Amino acid sequence: MIWQQLQSLAGSYPLALRGLGMTVVLSLISLVLGTLLGFGLGILRTGGNRLIDSLIGAWVDLIRGTPFLVQIFLIFFILPEFGIELDAFTAGIIALTNLAACFICEIVVAGIRSVPTGQVEAALASGLSRWQRMRQVVLPQAMRIVLPPLVGQYVLLIKDSSVVSAIGLTDLTRVGWLVVQRVPNGLLVFFLVGVGYFIVCYPLIMLARRLERRMGAAHGEVQL
Amino acid sequence: MTKTGMIDFRGVNKWFGSLNVLKDITLSVEPREVVVVCGPSGSGKSTLIRCVNGLEAIKDGDLVVDGQRLGDPATNMTQLRTEIGFVFQSFNLYPHKTALENVTLAPIHVRKIPRAEAEKAGRELLAKVGLADKVNAYPAQLSGGQQQRVAIARCLGMRPKIMLFDEPTSALDPEMISEVLDVMVAVAEEGMTMMVVTHEMGFARKVAQRVVFMDAGAIVESGTPDEFFSHPRTDRSRAFLSKILRH
Repeated sequence: MIWQQLQSLAGSYPLALRGLGMTVVLSLISLVLGTLLGFGLGILRTGGNRLIDSLIGAWVDLIRGTPFLVQIFLIFFILPEFGIELDAFTAGIIALTNLAACFICEIVVAGIRSVPTGQVEAALASGLSRWQRMRQVVLPQAMRIVLPPLVGQYVLLIKDSSVVSAIGLTDLTRVGWLVVQRVPNGLLVFFLVGVGYFIVCYPLIMLARRLERRMGAAHGEVQL
Repeated sequence: MTKTGMIDFRGVNKWFGSLNVLKDITLSVEPREVVVVCGPSGSGKSTLIRCVNGLEAIKDGDLVVDGQRLGDPATNMTQLRTEIGFVFQSFNLYPHKTALENVTLAPIHVRKIPRAEAEKAGRELLAKVGLADKVNAYPAQLSGGQQQRVAIARCLGMRPKIMLFDEPTSALDPEMISEVLDVMVAVAEEGMTMMVVTHEMGFARKVAQRVVFMDAGAIVESGTPDEFFSHPRTDRSRAFLSKILRH
């Protein structure tokens, strides 16, 4: 019987690959967009404008303080009520990007605030513009603090992407649900689903660990 | 219009909360003049020179630097700062950049000097401060005295009209103080306009045209180094001098 199940599972590998592909594509797109947006928000937040700071702060708190599943439902089911029709893929990308951006924003803010004021004053005193101070002096030093948790955040993002199966996207988790209907062995099926996620996440976990070690090195140059 | 100096304080006041850290400061520094500012800690001397390049904002009064009024919307502060070098007590070198990169960063990005030319000038400046062999060293690999000399070279790289020094030797081990002072003397002798917050009285005697003594936010006394050290006119300056010259 287990033999039959294994055969049947082997037969579903094209579906599994599609699911894995969907998980990777979803994660990758929202990881890139979320990183850009998160850095943008983080830099804006430390710019010294109190209104912008509190607006972004409130949004970040809201997103961090509500379940991701609820956010996805709001985007997918509530936005169409206001005339914004989204397909599941776009809704998934928006929700994941927003979530990633909010967490990354906080990581970036912490990194920027960790750079001693003397550094900013030195850059200011040599006449560097605001963007030059950020790009040449503050960000490279902030990256020491930012990089390890940033990569850690990517791992969380990939795992959070499993929630998009709730709005019908055929990602790895949903493939698990589909397969388990044909092969009634939940333990085995979802064990394999877990292995799939682990294969994607493990290299990132290793990368985070390596970065953490390298950031501790003497002068910690970071190549942007 | 009265004659204006390179740096002109006219009735400048500044408060930190309710604390009046600068009290009615009037002081004019002429081009090529070297002014040493001294006084007990908390007397406002650092705040005074930090106002000159706008690291601190003044509350009222006028502060005119190189013909431009600070706080005036018409004054481009970023532009003005390129004309003013600032040397910090704690060096504030960029730790992720080599000595040469520290020196060339602003010339390349602010002055838009081509990289090769900026690096050539940077190497010459580092040689001038005695660090020709350290161009590729990171700040963490340099001693305090070496770091401060790189910091001075970093300022000189912008070819400023004015240089401000905020206790440049206070964070250094005694044996490294003279190597930094020697560089400062050389800069002064080339005719740089300088305001130097320091207690290095040997330096003041050697190159300063004027010593300004501050206490509790006000300028108490001002005169040539000889006058000030030999014949201090106020009790407060006498008390201060007896403390720093005793050892």
